Amino acid sequence: MEKEQYRESRQGLKISHLCFGIPSSFQIQKQSQLQCVNKTLYDDAISSKGSKNKAAPYSVLDTRLGTSQNGQKCETCGDGLAECVGHFGHIDLALPIFHVGYFRFIMSILQTICKRCARVLIANEVRVKYLNRLRKPELSYLEKKSLHKEICDKCKKIKVCSFCGYLNGTVKKVGLYKVAHLVPKPTVSRKDKNAEIEELSSDLLGFIEENKEMEDYIRRCKAEFLDPLRVQNLFKEIPTSDYCYLLIKDFHPSDLILNKIPVPPACIRPSVLNELESGSNEDDLTIKLSEIIFVNDVIQKRRSSGASIAMIIEDWDFLQLQIALYINSETSGIPLNMRPKKLGRGLVQRLKGKHGRFRGNLSGKRVDFSSRSVISPNPNLKIDEVGVPKHIAKILTFPEKVTPANIAKMKALVTRGADEHPGANFVEDKKTGNKIFLKYANRRKIASEIKYGDVVERHLDDGDVVMFNRQPSLHKLSIMSHKARVHDHRTFQFNECVCTPYNADFDGDEMNLHLLQTEEAKAEAYILMGILSNIITPRNGEPLIAAIQDFITGGYLLTQKDSFFDRSKACQLISSILGEAQGIDKIILPRPCILKPKALWSGKQIFSLILKPVEDGNPGLDLRTKSRNYSGKNEELCANDGFVNIRDSELLCGTMDKATLGSGSKTNVFYIMLRDLNAAAAGMAMWRLARVTSYYLANRGFSLGLEDVTPTEQLLYSKKSLLTTGYRRVNEYISDLKDGKLERLPGRSAEDTLESMILKELSVIRDHAGKSCLKELSVDNAALVMAMSGSKGSLINVSQMVACVGQQAIRGGRVPDGFGGRSLPHFAHRDKSPLAKGFVENSFYSGLTVTEFFFHTMAGREGLLDTAVKTAETGYMQRRLVKALEDLVSHYDGSVRNSRGEVIQFIYGDDSLDPACMEDNDKPVNFDRMMLHVATTHPSEIDPSLDPGMLIEKSKQQIDRWSSNISDSFKTEVRLYIETLANKLAKFRSNYICDDFNNVLGQVGRITESQLIQFLTCCEDKYLRAKLEPGTAVGAICAQSIGEPATQMTLKTFHFAGVASMNITQGVPRIKELINANKTISTPVIRAALLDPKNGEEARAVKMRLEKTTLGQICEFIEEVILPDDCFVLIKLYMDRVKLLKLEVDVNSISSSILRSLKIQSHRIKIYGRNLIQVHSGSPSELWQLRESICNVVVKGIPSLKRAAIRMEGEAEKSKHYLMIEGEGLRDVMATYGVDPNHSYSNNVMEIASCLGIEAARASIIKEIKVTMENHGISIDSRHLKLLADTMTYRGEVLGITRFGLAKMKESALMLASFEKTADHLFDAAYFCQKDPILGVSESIISGMPIRIGTGFFDLIRKQEFNKSQYFDRKLIFEDEELHEPFNFEVDPRYFQE
Amino acid sequence: MADDYEDREEIFDDFDEEAPAEDAMDENNFDILDAPTGTETGRQNINRVTTPYLTKYERARVIGTRALQIAMCAPIMVELDGETDPLDIALKELKARKIPIIIRRYLPDGSYEDWGINELIMTE
Repeated sequence: MEKEQYRESRQGLKISHLCFGIPSSFQIQKQSQLQCVNKTLYDDAISSKGSKNKAAPYSVLDTRLGTSQNGQKCETCGDGLAECVGHFGHIDLALPIFHVGYFRFIMSILQTICKRCARVLIANEVRVKYLNRLRKPELSYLEKKSLHKEICDKCKKIKVCSFCGYLNGTVKKVGLYKVAHLVPKPTVSRKDKNAEIEELSSDLLGFIEENKEMEDYIRRCKAEFLDPLRVQNLFKEIPTSDYCYLLIKDFHPSDLILNKIPVPPACIRPSVLNELESGSNEDDLTIKLSEIIFVNDVIQKRRSSGASIAMIIEDWDFLQLQIALYINSETSGIPLNMRPKKLGRGLVQRLKGKHGRFRGNLSGKRVDFSSRSVISPNPNLKIDEVGVPKHIAKILTFPEKVTPANIAKMKALVTRGADEHPGANFVEDKKTGNKIFLKYANRRKIASEIKYGDVVERHLDDGDVVMFNRQPSLHKLSIMSHKARVHDHRTFQFNECVCTPYNADFDGDEMNLHLLQTEEAKAEAYILMGILSNIITPRNGEPLIAAIQDFITGGYLLTQKDSFFDRSKACQLISSILGEAQGIDKIILPRPCILKPKALWSGKQIFSLILKPVEDGNPGLDLRTKSRNYSGKNEELCANDGFVNIRDSELLCGTMDKATLGSGSKTNVFYIMLRDLNAAAAGMAMWRLARVTSYYLANRGFSLGLEDVTPTEQLLYSKKSLLTTGYRRVNEYISDLKDGKLERLPGRSAEDTLESMILKELSVIRDHAGKSCLKELSVDNAALVMAMSGSKGSLINVSQMVACVGQQAIRGGRVPDGFGGRSLPHFAHRDKSPLAKGFVENSFYSGLTVTEFFFHTMAGREGLLDTAVKTAETGYMQRRLVKALEDLVSHYDGSVRNSRGEVIQFIYGDDSLDPACMEDNDKPVNFDRMMLHVATTHPSEIDPSLDPGMLIEKSKQQIDRWSSNISDSFKTEVRLYIETLANKLAKFRSNYICDDFNNVLGQVGRITESQLIQFLTCCEDKYLRAKLEPGTAVGAICAQSIGEPATQMTLKTFHFAGVASMNITQGVPRIKELINANKTISTPVIRAALLDPKNGEEARAVKMRLEKTTLGQICEFIEEVILPDDCFVLIKLYMDRVKLLKLEVDVNSISSSILRSLKIQSHRIKIYGRNLIQVHSGSPSELWQLRESICNVVVKGIPSLKRAAIRMEGEAEKSKHYLMIEGEGLRDVMATYGVDPNHSYSNNVMEIASCLGIEAARASIIKEIKVTMENHGISIDSRHLKLLADTMTYRGEVLGITRFGLAKMKESALMLASFEKTADHLFDAAYFCQKDPILGVSESIISGMPIRIGTGFFDLIRKQEFNKSQYFDRKLIFEDEELHEPFNFEVDPRYFQE
Repeated sequence: MADDYEDREEIFDDFDEEAPAEDAMDENNFDILDAPTGTETGRQNINRVTTPYLTKYERARVIGTRALQIAMCAPIMVELDGETDPLDIALKELKARKIPIIIRRYLPDGSYEDWGINELIMTE
């Protein structure tokens, strides 16, 4: 067979760019097939003859506009429904009409130009300035927009036209699509006025009659009513040289006003024929268009019959409204009498919204070759497999080309046909393109005739690459590729280890499966989206695919110190990993760890076999880490067996649990396998664990019964004592409050203090109960085993079942009082006892009382409510994040840029490392583990150990040889690690002076030269591999890494940060605040460091300087004094208090504050002595008012601050004072004496940006998001946060990730239109004649082009040796003489003349 | 909607048939390497600065492209061992470094670098 030429798929047709613009009437007419004039849709005359529903000629359903019905042919092109693309028509409007989309621009042009001479109002001198800017060749979209705004704003202020001297007034929108020009009235004599009024009435007669309320307004100044006709004439007058000031290019401003409207092709507004009765359902557009024709007709008739102006104007307004509704049916402000009964879908409505054209049809499409079913678990499947029901496998097909390599297989498949499973549904002939359905065909014959190049649509089969997905698809791990495994059941199945990334469980969840259709797609999905390539989440580099639930329980129980197996049991257990396709055909059973009295293998030995069943030459696994139950001392000899040591894949000690098996931990054994070996090995090990543990658990038995939740006597006793002490304390607090003895927390009321103290007291009870459960319950207790191993549930859950359910919290506090000052009618009024406020002392085992049960449901309801609210909120946040960041990509030079090539970061994340490759806390290498691994894999037993000095020197030599690609900071890090290691060694060895250094002492912390070199090469290698790969969509990953964990945060949590009760918004609301870049945030807090942090006295003084103090707070009295001849307010200051508070005020400063804030004359204030002030009042009646306002005069402090609190940090001796201040005003705080301005911080990003600059704002965005996330126990790699902060700040101002911020970040109109405000962005783009080069992600998807990210980031070419002699020049068809008739010049000379 | 989709595909098909046929005879197209006069692509970098590692995207694309070639009956460059799936064959070819494809990496300034598959360091 002839070899087929490989062709790059985009070579055929490529959209280079997309231009927006405004068509002129001429263009509309030019592209139109016919002018629509007939308002009737169907021709009644013909329908009587029998052929019903014949579209009327020249109506908007004329078949020349294309067809919307099957079997009907288009009259213009003669094609049927499937082929005809449709043809435009047009309607000639009797009178010009404003285009609603451009109405905004029409207004702004009217405001910009002179209403007499139609020139732009800017004077000649000023024009030069703008001209230079306007002449810039490649004005970007954003620049155009801002220039337009600037010029408009400037022109609005200019009243007199500098060209003709005409006095221009303001142009206002009055009523619906009506424009009035309010000419300021020149001062005229009385005589002229009457004439003017007459003139006005004739001009605005129609308008005033309709809008009576406007009459007054119009009469006040001389108003002209600018109807579309006038506006159009005015626009026609605008000189061409002035177009550039209006930012108009390529169209005439009068085109903004419609003289003709295009009629869209019939196929986009299909009529639906009703089969039962005659008649049809027409699209909203069709109806609207025919209405427009109707109104248009009426106007024409009225005009020709000479009807009154008022009537014509009325119809004109109606036509205007109809066209407005046709374009945008959600127009607001329609007068009641004109409002249509039913609002149809206008053109704008078709485009916008979730189900509109942009988001519903262009950005996301329905697909073929997809399936959906319920999922179920299957630990026997490998982690990169998915079980597919045979039924589905027979429907999903892959078009496989027949090649020499697969012809035999294809023949077999074709013979088997469509009904038997590994078969085929269709065969497509290469030459003819005929498709044969194999169900009823002669398959044997077809199979024998099959040839290379034919396409066989074969069934999905084992090993096919499929994409598997579960909604909500919040991150890239929600859709991954698996290899199919066809089975006979009816659900999709997969290994439970893969539940976490999909966030799936098996309580009825459904998932989607897609079969990829091309080899390219298969390859890319297999390599980039494969399970094995996605074990690690790029959020923070932790493994997401890992053992869960039963696998952890199984691993925990298996590796207990007391689990032993005799030969038969051990063999049976471990042989569950044997299998035909696993590639393991033998297992080397180690020597039993107990020989006498009976050969017994420990569970740890079995586990070692899971890690490495057979010596395959690959390096083993090394790990030394604490597990969850580490007692805190003795390391390997920990009493709880809580220190895991694995050497060369052999588990030496420790129990496996969530920390070493589960997801979200970098001490996971599979993670280490993945990093040190490869993903396939880690995947297989995970599968082996799944097999062995599920087999082990099934045989051992693991279930939860009543005995597991029955408390022991001892437990009940300790619970009782816990409760009594707790209750006693609470009662003490309550009685303290009654007696007024309760010490208040700073800044809190007594009631609040009591509540928080009681809450603290009660919430401890449950935790203590949990701890005593741990002590009392047996180690075999199933619930406890699960809690200890971390597989499911926590100690609190155990204690809730066994001992005590505990305090029910609602909005962070105890159950609030409802009606009548009590939580439930079972209790006394104002009862503050634990039981009355939601404390549940029973356990789930003992059963809840009625009231307890009710409190429990209250807390439960709150949880449900939260989840419902947060899903919507975080979903929208994620969408915004993705839209803002989607086109950021790391380039081949290491920079991060958007699709326009604007630099966001010069180096990704300041070090260009991939967050997914971080082994240790934002660092690429975990040195300790690496050293351990090197020491085990390279024993180098003969080499002498290096002494500390040599160690440092050798490493220095080696590191200096490293390439320049490695950052200096990493080199220093390695050097530092080696130095600390050497110092430790030196310190240890100096303790023992020994001659025989090498033989004995050298063995302690032994590092040979070869080991050191190996260690350093490994570090180098790991660093280089951890470099971010060019082409990575870092933006999308960043957006997902922040958006996905946000969905897991509980919404309305208000944490109490610190002791002094300063509430700071946390959780989703806080993240939302930060991402939106809100100007005002709900809880602004300033942290101010002090110049003299040691001095508590000074701290108090600073606090007083900052905190707002009113006069009322420091006065002994403020009295109204009324004397017969005088009246005044007398103020006496409380000087002792002022001194005590360290308030830096005196009578003079206070009197000046009063002067300033009350704005009274200085002679009205008199000062007597050092504490008396007299403020005189004009009349006794105003006296009380004056007194009240004096009370509130701020004498010291910053008014915008609410309150300040002094805090301490550090240990007793070195303790430092600092201030926490609620409120805004960082600039003022920093300027206050005593505050250290270098260490003051506000949590309001916008405030920081305005007072410290954009870099500081960036740093604070990073810090704030990080802190908020960490409060919820979510870790995100700092590189993601940096990228987000950089995107928000790279324009030089803090831009929120909102529709406003996005419009200032993005250039592409298509991208903005697919986000929000679809129509507005499209109209804008048309006005500015925007050219979209289609570089970004959204634009590419919308226009069906490959995206220049990832695999589209580079080109593939092939250098071909081109030997010209081998080829011959083939003539083009046009050059081939044989194919042409001889050119006949005698045809007709006239033909050429035209 | 389904109809729209089909229409578009046909347009692509038409162009696929014709455009390359012309290119095949166009001498310039084969000599892109030597004559970097291309209008849109810019110039070639003499000193190559990009990473010497084969990125996973390049790997995926190369294998995808090669698998497609193999599926279209391109001559296979390695000994087969019973594999029928073009993807497996392509992977095997890449391992043997027998894929005759050059990667053209574009830098943000419009210049580009050409890297042969065999020059790049492969991990895994």
